[in-house]
Amino acid sequence: MSRRLIFHVDANSAYLSWEAVRRLQHGDKLDLRTVPAVVGGNPETRHGIVLTKSIPAKKYGIVTGESVFSARAKCPELIIVPPDYYLYMQCSKAFGDMLREYSPLVEQYSIDEYFLDYTGMAKALGDPLATAYRLKEQIKQELGFTVNVGISSNKFLAKMGAELKKPDMVHTLFPEEMPYKMWPLPVEKLFGVGRATAPKLKERGILTIGDLASADPRHLKLFLKSYGYLLWNFANGRDESPVRPNRRVLIKGIGNSATIPFDVTDRQTARLVLLSLVENVGARLRRAEYLAGLVSVSIRNNKFYSYSHQRKLSTPTDSTNKIHETACRLFNEIWHQEPIRHLGVRVAELCTNSLLQTNIFEENIEKQRAMDRAVDEIRSRYGLKSVMRASFLHSGLNCVAGGTVTEEEYPVMSSLL
Amino acid sequence: MKVIMKPIEVIASFNLNGMPTPLKFKIRENDFPVVINVEHISFRSEEKLAGNKMITFRCQSTVKGLLKVFELKFEPGTGKWFLFKI
Repeated sequence: MSRRLIFHVDANSAYLSWEAVRRLQHGDKLDLRTVPAVVGGNPETRHGIVLTKSIPAKKYGIVTGESVFSARAKCPELIIVPPDYYLYMQCSKAFGDMLREYSPLVEQYSIDEYFLDYTGMAKALGDPLATAYRLKEQIKQELGFTVNVGISSNKFLAKMGAELKKPDMVHTLFPEEMPYKMWPLPVEKLFGVGRATAPKLKERGILTIGDLASADPRHLKLFLKSYGYLLWNFANGRDESPVRPNRRVLIKGIGNSATIPFDVTDRQTARLVLLSLVENVGARLRRAEYLAGLVSVSIRNNKFYSYSHQRKLSTPTDSTNKIHETACRLFNEIWHQEPIRHLGVRVAELCTNSLLQTNIFEENIEKQRAMDRAVDEIRSRYGLKSVMRASFLHSGLNCVAGGTVTEEEYPVMSSLL
Repeated sequence: MKVIMKPIEVIASFNLNGMPTPLKFKIRENDFPVVINVEHISFRSEEKLAGNKMITFRCQSTVKGLLKVFELKFEPGTGKWFLFKI
């Protein structure tokens, strides 16, 4: 079989450039990409981290993930725009549709990244490099934002290639180009090496990707286990993963969490916050037609220390009330009475809901399920706030918290290629 | 031409393919509504910046005895019309 040809296409500062393009389209005179600007949360509700920065903002030393507060300290005239996930989905969809004009095999890897399999397409569309430039220009012309394209013979190298130099560039990174394009880079630039793995490698004198490529895999296995082999293969440019259209991640668990606008100090409010989180988890669980066998609760206190607790249920359930009850019990068991900043609920050990095992001590379960179903239906038709529990009246809390959009619709990046 | 991007009220006709043609629009200037008939459409263009479709119309009208050229913009996603440029 001839060599594969894979493109990795990545939108440059995606959230920010999409917001900028929307504003330009609606007659705004200022292009956010040309001034120091960030997409970040609202500092008043304490959702304050930088999600994406413009290139001028980068020059002030602003980094993704830092708080909006400290970013503003670095650059007082910084423009902060709130995120809009529906806009991102719309842009991402248009982006994907355009790529499908170039190949039938397109995989959405995250909201702003796609893989495209160009193997055999050269006969129809011509030289891959020329096509990549055409593709990049077409996206810039028609959709208004710039992308980076990486070209190689597998997904891993294509992705590494697209990261080389930004913005608005096309790079090739074929295996024969690795020694001078990839190996001199510091090891943390390698896909899969993050803040946990990088220090371990550096401690052992592996500073560049080239060092890793020439390391003894058995030595890597001693401290990285099988992941060491994977990284070693990556560093040598070996990856066989196929481009998968309609990637769907198998749901293993459903979770929801929220940073609360104020510190929670009493049990009653905490119970309400948990309820608002569970309302969302329960609805999604029922929509996916699953039952959950495990509930876990996580707390982050005002000192940013996080801890969690989980428990198996005697019988799997999809009932909002039952999950909430368990969540509250877990919460009571671990809470140290300190002010809480962030709460999360997660359910896991999912099984299909076609068969429901009832519990002899349980109340009328059919009635409970009918109630949940009715509420779900009303909310899907008339909006989340059309019905709410009376306990939320005058509480200042949202009756359904967290979850901008569900992850089925909003693809997040995974560590698997 | 200068970008104005002011929301306007519009009467338009739609053909069988769903393609709109603006006939007249109302714009409030200093709280005083002015109605302008669209006399001629020179061309229309479509864009989908940020994945959002918008149709731009280059139009001509006689306003107070003067021939004016301007652009109207229609956003099918929201159904809104704008006076885009004068």
